[in-house]
Amino acid sequence: MTDATAEFFDALSQSGHEPLLEKAKGTVSFELTNGTRVECWLVTLENGDVNVSRKNAKADCTVRVNKDLFEAIAAGQANAMAAFLRGEVAIDGDMELMALFQRVFPGPPTKRPRRQNGGSVGRSS
Amino acid sequence: MNDGLVKILDGNTFVVSDPRGDIEASLTDPTGLFSFDTRFLSKWILTVNGQRLTPLSTDDMQYFETRFFLVPGTGTVYVDSKLSVIRRRAVGNGFREELTILNHDEKPVDLTIRIDAASDFADLFEVKDALKKKGTYSARVKDGRLVLGYERDTFTRGTVISATAKARVDSDGLTFKARIEPDGEWSTNLDVVTAVMGTGEKREQPTFARPRGRQNMEANLKRWVDEAPTLECDWDALRETYQRSLVDLAALRFSPPIMGRQSLPAAGLPWFMTMFGRDSILTSLQALPFTPSLAETTLRALGEWQGTRVDDFRDEDPGRILHEMRYGELPAFEERPHSPYYGCADATPLYVVLLDEYERWTGDRRLVHELEQEARAALNWIDEYADLMGNGYISYRRRNEKTGLENQCWKDSWDSISYRDGQLAGFPRATCELQGYAYDAKIRAARLAREIWKDDEFAKRLEKQAAELKRRFNRDFWIADGEYYALALDADGKQVDALSSNIGHLLWSGIVDKAKSKAIARHLVGAKLYSGWGVRTLAEGEGRYNPIGYHVGTVWPFDNSFIAWGLRRYGFKDEAAQIAAGILAAAEFFEGRLPEAFGGYERTRTRYPVQYPTACSPQAWSTGTPLLLLRTMLGLEPAGDLLVVDPATPVGIGHIALLDIPGRWGRVDAFGRGRISIGEKKGLGQRVQAAPV
Repeated sequence: MTDATAEFFDALSQSGHEPLLEKAKGTVSFELTNGTRVECWLVTLENGDVNVSRKNAKADCTVRVNKDLFEAIAAGQANAMAAFLRGEVAIDGDMELMALFQRVFPGPPTKRPRRQNGGSVGRSS
Repeated sequence: MNDGLVKILDGNTFVVSDPRGDIEASLTDPTGLFSFDTRFLSKWILTVNGQRLTPLSTDDMQYFETRFFLVPGTGTVYVDSKLSVIRRRAVGNGFREELTILNHDEKPVDLTIRIDAASDFADLFEVKDALKKKGTYSARVKDGRLVLGYERDTFTRGTVISATAKARVDSDGLTFKARIEPDGEWSTNLDVVTAVMGTGEKREQPTFARPRGRQNMEANLKRWVDEAPTLECDWDALRETYQRSLVDLAALRFSPPIMGRQSLPAAGLPWFMTMFGRDSILTSLQALPFTPSLAETTLRALGEWQGTRVDDFRDEDPGRILHEMRYGELPAFEERPHSPYYGCADATPLYVVLLDEYERWTGDRRLVHELEQEARAALNWIDEYADLMGNGYISYRRRNEKTGLENQCWKDSWDSISYRDGQLAGFPRATCELQGYAYDAKIRAARLAREIWKDDEFAKRLEKQAAELKRRFNRDFWIADGEYYALALDADGKQVDALSSNIGHLLWSGIVDKAKSKAIARHLVGAKLYSGWGVRTLAEGEGRYNPIGYHVGTVWPFDNSFIAWGLRRYGFKDEAAQIAAGILAAAEFFEGRLPEAFGGYERTRTRYPVQYPTACSPQAWSTGTPLLLLRTMLGLEPAGDLLVVDPATPVGIGHIALLDIPGRWGRVDAFGRGRISIGEKKGLGQRVQAAPV
């Protein structure tokens, strides 16, 4: 069984440095609930350096969300902000950290190539 | 307010009621208590002994506070004028209403006082578009409070109503029994608290709102006005307009949940009390010489939400600056894409323009360093994602065909982009002002790259691209026989050849060849575009011209303020002064509060500016217009660590002084004297004088 959550965090961890997170400094704890079980991921951010662990520790920002929904977010099939507005994602602590972190969630899978065309302003110069 | 409604607000929480203070909303009308794009009260009706009340007067004390003076009874004859009723209402985390009843009689009086309350929890989009709700309602009495609730799956919103006086509370409201002695009074405080998530019974979840005390808000407003420059001027109306603008701008401040106490300009009351890319940026630009903090927050907040992925539903691309953020039920369930929505073609280049202009005024290099990545991503968006036709120009076509925006330029109505014969252009559309913004963004970013990011290679590349863009633009958009630039290029690269106000924005951006600028200036103050009050969105004589058509003939004050800036940029001082004079004269008719738009009728025909019917007032970029016009009239321009003042003001304005202009120079004063003579039919209305003073 593929686990989009693990894939997402593994990729983040392996990259080691994520330019989109350079402004975020602090810890974000993800508590993914599945019935009575809670799966924890702790992300430490500093100057774009990313460290991921499975620790259950107090963080600057705690994000509580159902595991199934997080699977969809990690796969780009659900949008984190909309889920937050629905009340399906609970955020405690520094909201700005989460606003920055959401930058690295993938977009929805698309059928066509990412780039719409090859044109660019500098092309003819 | 001319619609008879009374509005008070703080950030995105606002109350719109009738002159009695009552709220009786139907699904489609915008009265009620709103917060975070949801209506939390749709009914709030006061009766005394079963009778509705009649307003004697309404006192707009502050934008966040108002007082209603009422007497019982309706109709022309007061059946019982021995009683006075005063409702003093201040908006906060919801609102607080101090209700006081005075007995002027010699006998005691026994009263039954009743507040009927209910909420439809409509999303603002539902109010605009009259849509039906999908969740379930509740109304319960709990611990002496009335708790109104709405639930749709995990989405919950609640309103909690309580009173300080003893009340009988039922699911439809609160009833008070009072005996008031002769010359006595009775009072209670009514508190209406909005709960964005959960009504206290569910697991505690974060709420967005931060309550602010009334005194705090008063002190905050005073500080805001005190910190802005002081205007001294012989023309009383201009001073009033200036004060009105400062206070309205304060009212329109909005703190996004992620920004702590920092605020940026929301777009307008009541529909647009949220963060917008275009509106927040343009208003911040207008206000830079006066309240530079707005620009800083705008840059930070829009930067945080800059697009990072390709998402067709939200029209999001990496580097794209958002169009609009909403917090209500419809975006939550993805029935609308505003979480946030990115379908806007101009905010991204304008973001870079604002960053540069902000640094030129404030000298805040730190922020330019901090936002280097965002600025580079924005510039990359222009080249890599915005060029839909592969012809080197920004164009737009929505990918969300159901709920996305068709028109992603500021003239966003369906019929705004047409050929001379009135035919509408197809998509994608490359409107001309977008190319100007892209040019300006590159030129300005080149300066930032060279001076602050220390990346000479990048600076050179940007300048080369910009020069190339300017050359091509002046070839492809120029309509030789009319001597102006086409409104757009269509999908075939053919000119959309209507004459429009957009050519004024081109002057502001600097993309206009010097040799062509004279013709553009002539058009802008010529009879087809200039109404006597301002430049029309579309020229008289074009196929779709209609003096009361939203973007096809009306005059938009904000549009004119950027046109005036553009005219000054190219040295057309007299023409810029003429436009400033016309718009500021119009402001006098609106008691200093310029509307979003007014009719494009010839000034000599109507003698007063005919307001375009619109629900949005005050509107941010109309509020910012007098500020930018003051800048253009005084010719304020940062030059290194100095502020250059080069006044060119209309005769009727007389003496003018703007004191304590903040910037990298500390605080400086600017003085001017009306010297530009403007022909009668055009200038300052009755106050115009024949010769320079």
